Amino acid sequence: MAKYIVRRTLGLIPLLIGIVLLSFVLMKMAPGGPQAQFNQNNRVTEEQIDRWLKRWCLERNAGPLGVAREFGGWAGIWNCDTESFLSQQGGLNFLPPQLGGGDNGLIHGDLGFSIDQGRPVVDMIAERVPATLLLTTAALFLWVSVAVLLGVIAAVRRYSIFDQVVTFFSYVFYSLPTFWLGLMFIFLFAVAFRILPPQGITTPRTWPPFGTERYWGEFGEKPLQAIVDIARHLVLPVTVLVLVNIAADSRFVRASMLDALSQDFVRTARAKGLPGRTVVMKHAFRNAMLPVVTNVALELPFLFGGAVVTETIFSWPGMGLLFITGVGSRDYFLLMGLLLITSLLILFFNLLADVLYAVVDPRIRYD
Amino acid sequence: MAESSRAVDAADVAKVGTPGPVITDLEETASASARPADHEVSLESLNQWQLAWRRFRKHRLAVIGAFAFLFMVTMAIVGPILWPYSATHIPGVTTPGGDPPTLSPIHNLFGTDFGGRSVLQFVVVGSRISIAVGVFTAIIATTIGVTVGAVAGYFGGWIDGLLMRFVDLILAIPFLFVVLVAARFFGGGDVVSLILIFGLLSWAGLARLVRAMFLSLREAEFVQAARAVGVGDVRIAFRHILPNALGPVVVSATLIMASAIVLEAFVSFLNFGIRATDVSWGNALSNSKGYLLQGNWWWPFFPGMALAITVIAVNFMGDGLRDALDPRSKE
Repeated sequence: MAKYIVRRTLGLIPLLIGIVLLSFVLMKMAPGGPQAQFNQNNRVTEEQIDRWLKRWCLERNAGPLGVAREFGGWAGIWNCDTESFLSQQGGLNFLPPQLGGGDNGLIHGDLGFSIDQGRPVVDMIAERVPATLLLTTAALFLWVSVAVLLGVIAAVRRYSIFDQVVTFFSYVFYSLPTFWLGLMFIFLFAVAFRILPPQGITTPRTWPPFGTERYWGEFGEKPLQAIVDIARHLVLPVTVLVLVNIAADSRFVRASMLDALSQDFVRTARAKGLPGRTVVMKHAFRNAMLPVVTNVALELPFLFGGAVVTETIFSWPGMGLLFITGVGSRDYFLLMGLLLITSLLILFFNLLADVLYAVVDPRIRYD
Repeated sequence: MAESSRAVDAADVAKVGTPGPVITDLEETASASARPADHEVSLESLNQWQLAWRRFRKHRLAVIGAFAFLFMVTMAIVGPILWPYSATHIPGVTTPGGDPPTLSPIHNLFGTDFGGRSVLQFVVVGSRISIAVGVFTAIIATTIGVTVGAVAGYFGGWIDGLLMRFVDLILAIPFLFVVLVAARFFGGGDVVSLILIFGLLSWAGLARLVRAMFLSLREAEFVQAARAVGVGDVRIAFRHILPNALGPVVVSATLIMASAIVLEAFVSFLNFGIRATDVSWGNALSNSKGYLLQGNWWWPFFPGMALAITVIAVNFMGDGLRDALDPRSKE
């Protein structure tokens, strides 16, 4: 098993490099660039633009070699100040600073600076992590438990009215565009009935911006009100996420459960006279959950990478919304940072799903 | 097309597998059964498509979905031609010799936006871009996916290795990330470039599927037979193997279409998609988002409803096709 994990992890490294390289080149191939914001400004000279670009380790009209240098600068192999592979200390740039290397780039634990805000990308992402985690974990627990419940009942009472109703609604919610569903929920509950706040994570007039130190200060003073406030904002986005995901997952649970129920060992259990409940819960259910566990593990990275659509509709200040802002302002390094983290999560959870599968199912053995 | 290829299959196999006398035997039996019998036996021969259609018809939701989708496609083609007002038409402002009298019931059926433009118009005229993006994305993605999958699965070896590593790479990049970045950085508000971006990014899963089908069918007996009589590689791949993989391919094509329609709406909703002056369902939703909090529900509701109905219809249709095109189901 350990051997298998090591082998898979080593295999992921070229894939990760490929992802990052391809996305960087793709973004750089697009016409225009961050300097486009100065197009209308006559007072900014060409020299100033060049100097400004150099601050981000970018080049104007970079050719293939230029893009390679830019990528090297972001990765930490190339040093933009000395314009060589050597750092200011004279050592190779990718070495740690203590060994005479530089301190820029991914290799030195630096995700780069946001072109739009001039702050380290790490800080910007770290600020957004709590909101995303709150939204997604709340949604995750709810939807997995409901989906399992619905799927199992639908499978046990196959072709019953209940099964047909669940099937129909899961098809409808699976097909509904999430963002439109969100808009309609905002209208219904925030505008028509006025029982829930439409957007955001806190009430803007009574609370400072979420995530700031001032906010946590006030949070400490009156924690109960703060939690109630966040909880009220949480209801709508969580509901949308839960509805859409229940739709997909309850189908999956139902199929998996039906598969388990048709197995020989279930028939044997019934034949030796075990009560129906025991057969369903002990024999079929446990086996049916194996693929479900893997499936949830595969869905997780997309959630922790930010539920992009949901966060956008509800202005939820998580990583998904940060990504949309980054795309809007063409913030290369912010986008690269987010991409790197999301890809890492996806690859990690893929591996985890495979390993988990072998752990929960003793019939499966790798290597 | 598939039917004729099946005929070719049969002919090829017959040439190899069955010597002359057997065929005459068959002919004799056939003529014997044509003689008047004691009781009437009506024989009905159905080809693959007729069988599929028979199975599809039984799937009630799929038939409803197919009709709803056909309705939307018809609306996308004729709707903008029949719609009596121009896209920028605002009631009260009449262009000389241009628009018919305003404030007709059609104009106000779904209400109007803050500028007095008809919401029904967004639904009818906007369907063209939304449906076109879905259909053409599906066509492009299916073409690329089938070709890449077929080549990789049929030839195997280093070609397979190379193509599949590329597919792995594309599938490993978060899909929404590339699509949004590409639409924003390369799109430029153009419908055609949006279709190209979607098409070029959504074929990877299908390629993997087709490759798997080819790997298993490559060694099938009818393929060996075809190879033995000297049929060329391209012909074997596309006329002998591919028709057998048709079911999953058609189903994935419908799924790609549904997701492309939603994706266009979302990308345009974020203003990264088609330009603001074009009318699509996504743009209508995008324009409405600032006014929702003032209670203008009808503005996003009807275009979104059209979008939702289309996607649900396509998904139901795909589900029916999955059952209908499965050659193993014998009902």
